[in-house]
Amino acid sequence: MRSSKKEIILLLIPQFIMTLFLITGILNGLLQSFGVMPSVGLLQPTFAYYQEVLSSSMTLRSLFFSLWLAFASTLLSGGIGLWICYLFINQDQLPGWVQRIIRIPIIVPHIVVALFIILLFTPTGWFARIFYALGFENIQNFFRYWVFDPYGNGIILGYLWKEIPFVIFFTLALMRQIDTSLGEAAQTLGASRFQSFLHVTLPLCKKTIVSALFIIFMFTFSAYEMPALLGPTLPKSLPELAYIEYTHPDFANRPYAMAINGLILIISLIISLIFFYWSEYSSKKEKKNEKK
Amino acid sequence: MDEVYAVQLEENYNITLDRVPMDIEEVLNILSTEKQAGETEGPVDMIWINGENFQTAMENDFLYGPFTHQLDNFQDYVDEEDPEHQQDFGYPIDGHEAPYGKAQFVLIKDEAVTEETPENAEELLEFAQTYEGQVTYPALPDFTGSAFVRNIIYEFVDPSEFEDMEADKEVVAEAIEPAFEYLRELNPYLWNEGQTFPSDQPQLNNMFMDGEVVLMMSYGAYDVAVAIENGEYPETAQSFIFENGTLGNTNFIAIAGNSTNKAGAMVAINEMLSPEMQASKYEQLRTLPVLDHDSLSEEQQALFDEVDPGPGTIPQDELLSARLPEMPGELVPIIEELWLEEVVGQYNE
Repeated sequence: MRSSKKEIILLLIPQFIMTLFLITGILNGLLQSFGVMPSVGLLQPTFAYYQEVLSSSMTLRSLFFSLWLAFASTLLSGGIGLWICYLFINQDQLPGWVQRIIRIPIIVPHIVVALFIILLFTPTGWFARIFYALGFENIQNFFRYWVFDPYGNGIILGYLWKEIPFVIFFTLALMRQIDTSLGEAAQTLGASRFQSFLHVTLPLCKKTIVSALFIIFMFTFSAYEMPALLGPTLPKSLPELAYIEYTHPDFANRPYAMAINGLILIISLIISLIFFYWSEYSSKKEKKNEKK
Repeated sequence: MDEVYAVQLEENYNITLDRVPMDIEEVLNILSTEKQAGETEGPVDMIWINGENFQTAMENDFLYGPFTHQLDNFQDYVDEEDPEHQQDFGYPIDGHEAPYGKAQFVLIKDEAVTEETPENAEELLEFAQTYEGQVTYPALPDFTGSAFVRNIIYEFVDPSEFEDMEADKEVVAEAIEPAFEYLRELNPYLWNEGQTFPSDQPQLNNMFMDGEVVLMMSYGAYDVAVAIENGEYPETAQSFIFENGTLGNTNFIAIAGNSTNKAGAMVAINEMLSPEMQASKYEQLRTLPVLDHDSLSEEQQALFDEVDPGPGTIPQDELLSARLPEMPGELVPIIEELWLEEVVGQYNE
């Protein structure tokens, strides 16, 4: 079905309106991050807030912490997710219990996941209690560093539970299609199942996999609730820091919050740009290969 | 609130109370946005407010007033000379908010678990050493955690020192250093060795109910009674205070500058200050009343005297006699910032 130009524009109007709201909000935040806030009498644009935010050791620690959380969650959920895909790729359908296990995390909100993690993995959580009942006396010490720890283990654990199924969900259908066609061709030519997965299926699904990882990275880098609920007192993630500055009773402090948000935005934009250029570049390369 | 007060307003004055629970930061944001947009007819009439947020609202001219001198019940029953009714976290009130309730910081323990009652900073350190890993406080800037740290500061520095203190990070840091040294000394004996703290008071509350920690704290002096009656705390839970006293503050009701129903709001606030309503609030919500006991008639006094604040509580006169004033609101965020930088996970050499 081909739609006329008019129809396309009509169909896009709701999207435009939503985007307009989003952009107004972002612009307002950016203006405040440069110290322009007419309601409290700040009018002169300045880089001072960014400078101050970037020179504070607290913010830098938070920046590294947020980057660590995002990289660790993304790479681990990608790796484990793909490995599970590999295990089930030659079955026409996932076994029922796997399907169920995968579906639950996708519909459960992050905030509930955080509660589960606290219930299960804290020193007084269910696992500690179960192991204690089984006779492990010092099990509490083992569970001491799972949640609220300075490396964000609890946060990453929570993200893994949510994002591994997402990776599977996002990539498995395509992978299975490629694996049953080209992958099997490779196997008839003597490749092992693992070899064909690694050298044929994975490279051909590269774009989809990277898209999934990109989405996870963006989310884990800038989400507030998991670090707030499962994170240590220090270091704090960037969004938590921004929230603390935002709720500071003095409005003149608002630009600091917005400068931290600006920092999150800039890093996200850089990563988006890298992603988009990479995907353009790889599509071009694919086309070239096809011509050959 | 909705059951007694709202009904009373509706019946006697034909005022409908539309209570919207919201964080005070959100309310200030609404007022700020409206002001930015030049809106003169705002949706907000009465605001429950105090401390730093009152100061922010005043400095940005969000509030209507002065108005309290026009309220009969304020004139008749509220002691205007009380310093807590003159200044709110060190900021002059000047008739822009009417007292609503009093809060006081208390510590809570379970008598069946801990025999000791730490009544000063030193005893608290011994207490933490005895119950190693089972004592902690909510991470600042949590409201309760922040109050706890200010209370500890008062154990080392006289409250009067902060009255006119410059809101400068270095000045504040120097003044509170003895207290921070103490907090760092406390760290190794705390939950998770003071590396992490529960992120807020509800989390500490869960840990207390689970028996993971043996010390609870609250800025609501009578919260303990409500928790015991709800079955959340054991019957043996008991609140206590430091012998030098604990922080107390008054919270207030203000009127938004762009409220479309200022007269209605004033009638409502006046009603809130009536002896009957304050006594009912004391009984139902367990908040300390703000009226001056001596200015009440005997009958009215009886209304208050009959109220039993419930199990685990400290008698009202004992609480009020050991009340320390809040420090100026602008110092509070500075202390919270310093705590993150100089206390969390740090030990004295």
